[in-house]
Amino acid sequence: MEPILEVRDLDIAFESGKTLIPRTDKVSFSIQPGEIVCLVGESGCGKSITALSVLGLLSRQGRVTGGSIRLMGRELLDMTEKQLDEIRGRDATMIFQDIMYSLNPVFTIGNQLTEGIRRHMRLDKAAARERAVALLKRTGIPDAQGVMRKYPHQLSGGMRQRAMIAMALSCRPKLLIADEPTTALDVTIQLQIMELLRSLRDETGMAVLLITHDIGVVAEMADRVVVMYAGQCVEEADVRTLLASPAHPYTRALMQSVPGIDDDRSRRLYTIPGSVPEDYSHMEGCRFAPRCPHAQSCGCRPEYKPLREGHLVRCERAGEVQHG
Amino acid sequence: MADMNKPLLEVRGLRKTYPASTGSFFRRDRFAAVEDVSFTVNAGETFGIVGESGCGKSTVARLIMALEAPDSGEVLLDGQRLDNLSESRRIPLRPRFQMVFQDSGSSLNPRKTVSDILREPMLHHHVVSRKDADRRVDELLSLVGLPAAAKTRYPHEFSGGQRQRICIARALSLNPRLVILDEPVSALDVSVQAQILNLLRDLQKELGLTCVFIGHGLGAVRYVSHRIAVMYMGRIVETGDAENIFSRPAHPYTRALLDAAPVADPDRRGRKRLTLEGEAHGLLTDGCPFRDRCPYAEEACASLAPVLSPVEGDEKHLSACCRALQQEEKSC
Repeated sequence: MEPILEVRDLDIAFESGKTLIPRTDKVSFSIQPGEIVCLVGESGCGKSITALSVLGLLSRQGRVTGGSIRLMGRELLDMTEKQLDEIRGRDATMIFQDIMYSLNPVFTIGNQLTEGIRRHMRLDKAAARERAVALLKRTGIPDAQGVMRKYPHQLSGGMRQRAMIAMALSCRPKLLIADEPTTALDVTIQLQIMELLRSLRDETGMAVLLITHDIGVVAEMADRVVVMYAGQCVEEADVRTLLASPAHPYTRALMQSVPGIDDDRSRRLYTIPGSVPEDYSHMEGCRFAPRCPHAQSCGCRPEYKPLREGHLVRCERAGEVQHG
Repeated sequence: MADMNKPLLEVRGLRKTYPASTGSFFRRDRFAAVEDVSFTVNAGETFGIVGESGCGKSTVARLIMALEAPDSGEVLLDGQRLDNLSESRRIPLRPRFQMVFQDSGSSLNPRKTVSDILREPMLHHHVVSRKDADRRVDELLSLVGLPAAAKTRYPHEFSGGQRQRICIARALSLNPRLVILDEPVSALDVSVQAQILNLLRDLQKELGLTCVFIGHGLGAVRYVSHRIAVMYMGRIVETGDAENIFSRPAHPYTRALLDAAPVADPDRRGRKRLTLEGEAHGLLTDGCPFRDRCPYAEEACASLAPVLSPVEGDEKHLSACCRALQQEEKSC
């Protein structure tokens, strides 16, 4: 099956003064139709800029310096801004963590929702409105007609995220990119939004790229998981394999450092010593080695290679890590 | 080791209201952010407060710290009222109760070195002499796991986790009886969160520290707390030992909160859980504030305001629900 999205060897760099500082290093992954892929990592690992670059939304300082991004077989990096405009909102859409600033405060929800529908689906005003109301209802907004007339500030966080999702889905996209969509929400609302996203995926067959730092969210949502550290992919596997037998020391550490609600409380939380390096572009060898409990003479540059079918790891000692 | 059974902090019937926007100039309503909140914290104990945004947990912290005045109710530290003192009489007591905020970036003065940040409160309150201050700064830094070389640096040179360590060191510099931590790890990455949570547990053991830990991350609150209160719409709806709250929740809201927490096990995705509809809002003034989202709500819930009462005769485990959960509902 042809993947919906295929990212290959993606290098992104950011301008700092006159120099370009690399922020990602050959990021590669793909998403099949109907699949939910989670991109996991801590702040600064490059997961958000990877997602932004797919839709050509990097800020002015950011630039793709190498690799390829193919959406349904078409190379996005070769497209003009005008061609990208046709794709954004129609084939691939994005929702963000920051529900406060992703909606325009001076237009009503209805206004913002119908704009994309009319543009991409070429519907008239009345038909677009009808579709918008149906979408709001589908996302679980009780008073959809009323919400159409409201401004973003009049809605709660959960309602705003629902409106964002309705907007993202308005033109039946093949790919939804969700950047930490529930991080700003309370847990009971987070659960509602996660269930909504999953059922929408089941219904429409769209693929979802979900960016998160929360292993719990990964376990609830993902089909497949890509773990990033310091600008590189370090592990990729289906969700069961990854959570049950992680093979990269970072993945393992990340899982052990989260206090669960039914863990043994007397067990001390595992901590990763030190912190994520701020500028990792010049690091030789394994980027996790300075913090890794398994590091020996990992001066080598570990390759990102399959441990077995469908399970990629960037660690020389992956086999040992997995079984110990 | 401190005595675990003597209350160090007592909070009695705390209430705080703010003006509510009604949309009309002529109607002046008030919204109760905190309503009749009472609890005690024993010496050497960590008391966790959990709840979702807007439930009033941070307001409780600010009321205890006397950063705001309650509409009614009392806050007692070591048997002494804090809430009705004038500022000049409260200042000498400040070393006894200290606070750590969520945003470590904005709670440290960017123009002062770490050494100055830690020395200033100690010298102001005459906790150490000028001569000994340097030695004490070194001690504090090693206590929170920072190198002595950190002294001469400025807050912006540190990562979020390290800055939170500085905030904790500053709070500890005055040898406080009580430390209030308002979402101290919420802004941090998971690997750094674990470091800070472990640090807090070590400090509890080493110093016999008494803490109020406020958070929305259930796992984190459970990890550091001995006892927990769950808040909803300004009220405590359930309180008890951390273990009891998590293993035998009695209030439907606690149950839903626990069920909503994501579990790192994909095989438990389809598990039965108590899912809430809608969102918290302050519209229900009488009766149970949770009744419009509660799957077990009955007619009586609209008129009868539930009070905290013992669960299955356990005087330490209190729940504010008109109907204790039936056995089969609990196991769902």
